[in-house]
Amino acid sequence: MSVLRELSERLQRGQAKEVEALVQQALDEGETPQRILEDGLMQGMGVIGERFKANEVFVPEVLIAARAMHAGIAVLEPHLVSAGVKARGKVVLGTVKGDLHDIGKNLVRMMMEAKGLAVIDLGVDVSAERFVRAATEHDADIVACSALLTTTMTEMRHVVEAAQAQGLRGRVCIMVGGAPVTDAFREAIGADLYAPDASSAADAALAHCAGRAS
Amino acid sequence: MNGLERYLGTVAGRAVDDLARTPILMQFAAEFSGSDYGRFAADHCVLVEANVRCAEVFGIDQLSCISDPYRETHGFGGAVTFVADGPPRSTQPLADTKDLDTLAVPDPMGSARMLDRVRAVERYARDHAGTYSLLGWVEGPAAQAANLRGVITFMFDLMDDPEYAGALMDVCVETGIAFARAQVAAGADTIGIGDAIASQIDPRTYEALIQPREKRLVQAVRASGAFAKLHICGNITHLLPGIADLGVDIVDVDHMVDLAAVRAAVGERVVITGNLDPVSVVRNGTPASIASGVLDAYERAGNPYMVNAGCEIPAGTPAENLAALCRPLPYRA
Ligand code: B1M
Repeated sequence: MSVLRELSERLQRGQAKEVEALVQQALDEGETPQRILEDGLMQGMGVIGERFKANEVFVPEVLIAARAMHAGIAVLEPHLVSAGVKARGKVVLGTVKGDLHDIGKNLVRMMMEAKGLAVIDLGVDVSAERFVRAATEHDADIVACSALLTTTMTEMRHVVEAAQAQGLRGRVCIMVGGAPVTDAFREAIGADLYAPDASSAADAALAHCAGRAS
Repeated sequence: MNGLERYLGTVAGRAVDDLARTPILMQFAAEFSGSDYGRFAADHCVLVEANVRCAEVFGIDQLSCISDPYRETHGFGGAVTFVADGPPRSTQPLADTKDLDTLAVPDPMGSARMLDRVRAVERYARDHAGTYSLLGWVEGPAAQAANLRGVITFMFDLMDDPEYAGALMDVCVETGIAFARAQVAAGADTIGIGDAIASQIDPRTYEALIQPREKRLVQAVRASGAFAKLHICGNITHLLPGIADLGVDIVDVDHMVDLAAVRAAVGERVVITGNLDPVSVVRNGTPASIASGVLDAYERAGNPYMVNAGCEIPAGTPAENLAALCRPLPYRA
C-alpha cells in the first residue's frame, strides 16, 4: 500500500500517532507537502465526511479522525510554510446567540480545516456584533453561522444586518446552516450561502474562496 | 377515564377510551402560563402551575417535572445561571480534570436544584394524585457524563479511555438511581430517563458502554415501583437493538425514526410515544395536518401507543396546534 493511502486509512481510523509517523515517512520518501496534505490527510478526512453523511460513522469517529488530521498537519506545517502553501481562505465560525449546540458547528470546522481553510472558531452563544467584529479583526472571507433551534436561527438575520451596518457586505460572505435552516430561509434573510451538512459547507466555502482568489 | 387511568391502562396493555396524551412541555408551558423559561426552571411552584394549567386546558394526561438537563449537574458542583427565554446555562465541573474525586456528591434531598424537582413531584402528588400520571425525570448516563465533561470531551473519553468513560457514567448512574428513588418516594409513577447525546454515538460504543448503564438505571427505577421511560432525542434507528433490551416500559421516539421499525424492535409490551416533527408539523403545521400526523403515527406504531411529538413542544407553537395534537382520539383494538 502506498504511504499516502495508508496515511488516509489510518486517519480514517483516528490513529493520530500512526498518522504523525506516516507524514514523516512520506516526507522522508520525498513526497511534497502539498501532496501529503491533499492526497493523504484531506483525502482521508473527505472519506470520513462522506461516511458520516451516509450514517456509516458517527460523531466520535469524526472527532478522532479530525484529531489525527491535526496531528499530521502539525508535522507538515513547517514544510508547508517553507513550500509557500497558504490557507485557502479564512472563516469566522460560531453558533449564534442563545444557542449552545456545538457538535454540528465543530464538525463544520473540522471539514473546513480539512479543506485547507483557516477557521477562527468563536464557540457558542455568539452575538451578531462578535461575528462582525471578528470578521473585521481577522479580515475573514466568510462568516459562518450555525443554529440548531428554530428560536435562535432568527439571530442569523441580525448577523446579516450587523455586517451591513459595518459596511462588510460586499467583502464578507455570510454562510448559514444547522438542522432547522434551509436555503429558503437563507434567501429570506439575505445571507449568501447555505449548506445542509458539514462536508457541503466546506466545499461551498472553498469554492467561494477559490472564486475570490481567481 | 381520567388521565391516570388512561395512562396506567395503556402501560398495562389494556384497552382505554382515548389514546393517552403525553407531550413534553418546557418553554411552551412557561410562556403559556404567563411566566418565562428562567422562572420555570428555577422554581418548582412556577413549573407545577404551568404544567397543571396546560394539562387542564389541553387535556394532557401526565404532569411532568422536566425543565432542563442541569439538575444533577448542579448537585455535582456545576454553577447554574438562569436566562429568561432559554434553558439555564451550566458550567462543566469536569471540563479541565478527569478526577472524579473533585466532584461534589449530589444529594437529592440536599442539593437545591435536585430538591426543587422532588418538591415539584410532592406538590403534584398533594394536589393531583389519582388524576394524572406524575412523571419524574433523571439524566441518562451519557447525557450526564457529557454535562460534567462537555460533550466533545466526553466523546473523546468514549474513544480514548473507555474505562474512564465507564467509571464516570457509573457515578452518573448512582446519582440517577438516588434521584429517581427520591422522586418515586415523593409520588412519581414514572421516571423519564433523558439520554439525548446517545443518538450521536455509534452502535458499538453504545452497546459496550452506554446501554448496560442505561439498563442498570432502568432496572433500579422499575425496582423502586415506577415505570421507566426512555427519551433519546434524535435518530435512534442504529441503537434499536440495544434499546429493545433495556426493559423500559415506555419509549419516546423522535420524528426521524420509523415507528414501525421501533415496534418491530421493542415488541408488543413497550408503549411507544411520538413522533410528529416538533417544528415542521407541530409548531409550523395546521391543526388538520397535526391531526392526520397523529393518525399516521398511531397507525405505524400500533398499540400500546401514546400521543406525543418527537420531542419537546417548541416555544412559539400556536395553542390551537397543541390542542389539535391533544384532541381525544379513540383507542382502536
Ligand atoms: C455555517 O454553515 C453551516 C452549514 C452546515 C451546518 C452548520 C453550519 N451547522 C450545522 N450544520 C450541518 O452540519 C452538521 C453535520 O453534517 C449538522 O449539524 P447538526 O448540529 O444538525 O448535527 C450534529 C452533527 C448532530 N446533532 C446534534 O448535535 C443535535 C442532537 C440533538 C439530540 C440535541 C442535543 C445533543 C442537545 N440539545 Co437540543 N438537541 C437536539 C438534537 C436532536 C436531533 N436533531 O438529533 C435539538 C436540536 N435540540 C432541541 C431543543 C429544543 C433543545 N436542545 C437543548 C439542549 C441540548 C443539549 C445540551 C442536551 C445537547 C447539545 C449538546 C451540544 N453541546 O451541542 C435545549 C437548548 C439549549 C440551547 N439554548 O441551545 C433545548 C431547547 C431543550 C431544552 N428545553 O433544554 C430541538 C430543537 C428544535 C428546534 N428546531 O427548535 C432538537 C431538534 C431536539 C428535538 N427533536 O426537538 C448539520 O445541521
